Amino acid sequence: MPAFQLTVNGRRRSVDADPETPLLWILRDNLGLTGTKFGCGIGLCGSCTVHQGDKAVRACQVSLQEAAGTAIVTIEGLAPHGLHPVQRAWIEEDVAQCGYCQPGMIMSATALLADHPHPTDTQIDAVIGEHICRCGSYPRIRKAIHRAAKGGAR
Amino acid sequence: MTSRREFLKIAGSASAGLVLGLRLQGKARPGAPAEPVFHPNAYLAIRPDGSALLTVPKSEMGQGVRTALPMVLAEELDLDWSRVELRQAMPGPEFQHLGTGGSTSVSTTWMILRKAGAAAREMLVAAAAQSWGVAPDQCHTEKGTVFGPGGRKASYGELAEAAAHQPVPKTPRLKAPKAFRILGRPTRRLDGPKIVVGKPLFGLDVRRPGQRFAAVLRCPVVGGTPKAWDASKALAVRGVRAVVQVPTGLAVIAEGTWPAFQGREALAATVRWDEGPNAAFNSQDLENQMRSALQGPADPARKVGAAAPALAAAARVLEAEYAFPFQSHTPMEPMNATAQVRSDGATLWLGTQNPNTAQVRAAAAAGLEPGRMAVHVTLLGGGFGRRSGTDFSTEAAQVAKAAGPGPIQVVWDRTDDIRHDQFHPATLHHLKAGLDGHGRIAAWSHHIAGGAVLRSWLEGQKSPGQAETEANGAWDIPYDIPALDIAFAEVQVPVPLGWWRAIEIVPNVFARECFLDEVAHATGKDPLALRLELLGRRGRVKLGGEEVDIARLRRVLELAAEKAGWGRKLPAGHGLGLACHAYDRRTYMAEVAEVSVKKGQLRVHKVVAAVDCGIVLNPEGLAGQVEGGVAWGVSALFSQITFEKGRTVQENFDTFPVLRSPDMPQVEVHTIASLEAPSGMGEPPVPVCLPAVLNAVFAATGKRLRRLPILSADLA
Ligand code: FES
Ligand code: FES
Repeated sequence: MPAFQLTVNGRRRSVDADPETPLLWILRDNLGLTGTKFGCGIGLCGSCTVHQGDKAVRACQVSLQEAAGTAIVTIEGLAPHGLHPVQRAWIEEDVAQCGYCQPGMIMSATALLADHPHPTDTQIDAVIGEHICRCGSYPRIRKAIHRAAKGGAR
Repeated sequence: MTSRREFLKIAGSASAGLVLGLRLQGKARPGAPAEPVFHPNAYLAIRPDGSALLTVPKSEMGQGVRTALPMVLAEELDLDWSRVELRQAMPGPEFQHLGTGGSTSVSTTWMILRKAGAAAREMLVAAAAQSWGVAPDQCHTEKGTVFGPGGRKASYGELAEAAAHQPVPKTPRLKAPKAFRILGRPTRRLDGPKIVVGKPLFGLDVRRPGQRFAAVLRCPVVGGTPKAWDASKALAVRGVRAVVQVPTGLAVIAEGTWPAFQGREALAATVRWDEGPNAAFNSQDLENQMRSALQGPADPARKVGAAAPALAAAARVLEAEYAFPFQSHTPMEPMNATAQVRSDGATLWLGTQNPNTAQVRAAAAAGLEPGRMAVHVTLLGGGFGRRSGTDFSTEAAQVAKAAGPGPIQVVWDRTDDIRHDQFHPATLHHLKAGLDGHGRIAAWSHHIAGGAVLRSWLEGQKSPGQAETEANGAWDIPYDIPALDIAFAEVQVPVPLGWWRAIEIVPNVFARECFLDEVAHATGKDPLALRLELLGRRGRVKLGGEEVDIARLRRVLELAAEKAGWGRKLPAGHGLGLACHAYDRRTYMAEVAEVSVKKGQLRVHKVVAAVDCGIVLNPEGLAGQVEGGVAWGVSALFSQITFEKGRTVQENFDTFPVLRSPDMPQVEVHTIASLEAPSGMGEPPVPVCLPAVLNAVFAATGKRLRRLPILSADLA
C-alpha cells in the first residue's frame, strides 16, 4: 500500500498506515506529536483540535486519507519560534488547570480570532461550547481570548 | 547523595527529615487506609548556579499543588521565584506517602515545607556569616542572595557547598506571615508555559523506545468474564501483534492505539461473555432497596440529645426524601498507564493520585518486590478522585507482564473510562425536622442509604469509621439544634465505588441545605436569617470529635450574602439561593446563586462565593479552584450514571453531558483575610454550589427539586 503524504507543521511527512486511521492517532502514535489530545474519539470534546488549512478540525474525525495532501498545524507548530499571542494570553490569564484540554482550546481560539479578530462572548461560546474542559476553566478561556484580541492575535 | 558540590541537600535524603525533626503527622479521612499518616520528606536542592530544584510530593491534577507547594518552600527560603525548577517525587523510601486527595495537600505539608525552607535558609546564612566573620543576625536574605554588613553579598549558589557543612537547625525560625513576599501574591502556574505549547506532560503522552499500545476488551458487566472468543479476527487487523488474556479481560496489543482499538472491535464481535452475578443489576431496583434500607436499621454517624422522642413530641414535623444519582468522574484524559515489566524490575509511567499504592499493587501483579517497580508520576489530565484508584495501573502491569519485555501503553477510550469507572454512589436521603410551638427546630434527623465508598476503597472491608465517612457533611451540620440523629444505612452495590471531587459531602450537603431551606419557607423565615439564627453567636464548638469555628462560617455566609445583594429586587423569573458549609471542619464556604427559569430553561447566571481557608497561599490558584468547583457543581445538577442489565447506560459525553462554556455561570470570589493555618481549596467550593442553585430555583419558581439530575420535565 502506498504511503500517504501530508504536511504537518510545515514539514512534509510520509505515513504508511491504514487509510481510515484518524489523523489524531497518526499525529500521536506515528509522528510523535502528543500535544493533540484524545478525549472522546467521537467529535464531542474538542481536545484533538488541529488546523487543516485555515480551519479548525477535530483530528479524531479526519481520516489519514482525508488528511493526505493537506497542510496540518498542531499545537506544537502553532508558533514554531516562540509563542503565539493566544498562547501568551493563555499564560497571562493563568487559564490552565490540569491543562489537558488546553491545546485543543488554543487551536480553536486561534482559528476563531483569524475569522473574528474581536469576537463577542456569544461568538466565543459558539466555538468553545463545542469543547469540554472538565476543570471548568471557561471563564479564563473567555478572558484570554479577549486579551489576545486586544493585543491583535493574528 | 553523590555530589555535595552539585547539590545542597536539605531535606531530601532518607534521614534528613528526621534530622530536621520534620515529621509530618496528618490525619487522613477516617478509616482511609494506605495514607493514615502523611509524612513526605520535601526535597530541595540548590545548584551552584543558584537555581533551585524543588521536589513536589503531591500529584498535580489542576489544583495547583505544583505551584502552591513550591511557593511555600521558596517563601521561607527567600528563593528567586524565577529560578525555581520542579521535580515530581517518586515513591520510594524518602516518599512513602504521596497520596493526593481530600483537599489535604496544603494543610498536611505546609508546616514541613516551611520548616524545610527556613532551616535551609538559616544554613545558607550561617555559611555566609562564617566566611565573612560576622554574626548571622547581621545578615539577611532576599531573592536567593545573602546580604551582610558593608555591602557584602553572596548568592545561594555560591554558598551551597559551605551551607551543606552547617549544622541543621533544630527549630528554624519561621517568617511572620506579614513578612511573606511570595505567599499571598497571585502567582501563575509554573507548568503553564509548557501546557500551552503541548509539551508531553501527561500519562498518555509517554513514548518509550519500542513502545506498543494495548486496548483491553472488558465485559460491560462488572464481574463478567470471557467464555469464548476468536482472536484471528483481531490478529487480521493491520498493526495488531497479539491478543493476551489478563484478569480484567482480553488485551489487544498493537503498534498504535488505533490498531489496538480496531483489533478490539473485531475481537468483540467474536466474544461470548459469562456476565456473572451482576447481569441483572439496575438503578431502579437499587433505588427500591435504598428506600427500604431507610426504613430499617442504620449505623449512627452522630447523635445529639434524644431525637426520636423530640420528633414524636414536636408540634410539627417536616419530612422529605432527596435523591442523588451515580456519577462518573470523566477527567478529560481517559485512564491509561504505561508499563514495562522485565524479569529483574519494572517501570510504570502513570498519572496517579496514589503513587505508593499503585507501586505496591502493580509490583505484586508483576511478581516483583515493590522496590523493583519504579513509578514515574506524570501530570494528571484531571483526577477528581478517579486517579486514586489503582485498577488501571495494576491492569497495565498485568498486560505488560503477559505481553513481553517492551513498554506497553494501555489506553482506555471514553467508553471504557465511563463504563469501568469507580463510580460515586447513588444515595437516598430521608430528612425530618421537628418544630416546636414557636417554629424552632427541636430535632433533626438525616438518614442516608447507599453504597459505601469506604468499603470499596478497603477492598470489601467495613471500617468502624464507615458511617462517619459516608455521612460527612450531614453529621457535622453546623447549626445549633438540640437533638440530632444522623445515620448511614449501607446498601451493597456490585460496582466499584470511588471518591469524587468533594466526595460524599456533595450529596449530603445538597440534601441538608435544601431541606433547611424547606424549613425556612415552611416557617415563614428568610433562608439567610434562619441560618444566621441557627449558627448563633458562637465561636469554636465541638462537632462530634472535631472543632469548628462557627464565627468563621457565619462571616463567610454574611459576606457572600452581602456581596450578592441578598434580598434585593430581582427581575421576573429570577431567584437567589444560598448554602454554607465548613468543609471537613477546615474550609469555610458560602455561595449565593442567582438563577432564572424561563420557558422551563434553567440558567445559572452567577455564583458569589465567600471563603475562609486560613492564609491564602495563592489567590490566583484559589480563584481558579472556586471557578472549577462551581463548574463541577453545576455540571453535577444535570448528569447521572444509570445501570441497566448490569451495565452503564451512558458511554460518552453525548449520554453523560458535562458543563460547557455557554452554561458556565459568572463566578465572583471573596476571601476573608486570615492568619489561621491554610486549608484546602480543591473540593470545598463544590458541595454548597448545588443547594445554592436549587434553593434559587425554588425562590424563582416555587418548585422544590429534591431529585437529581434536574430533568427538563421538572421545570416545565
Ligand atoms: S477526541 Fe476528538 S473531539 Fe474529543
Ligand atoms: S484544564 Fe483540565 S480539562 Fe481543561
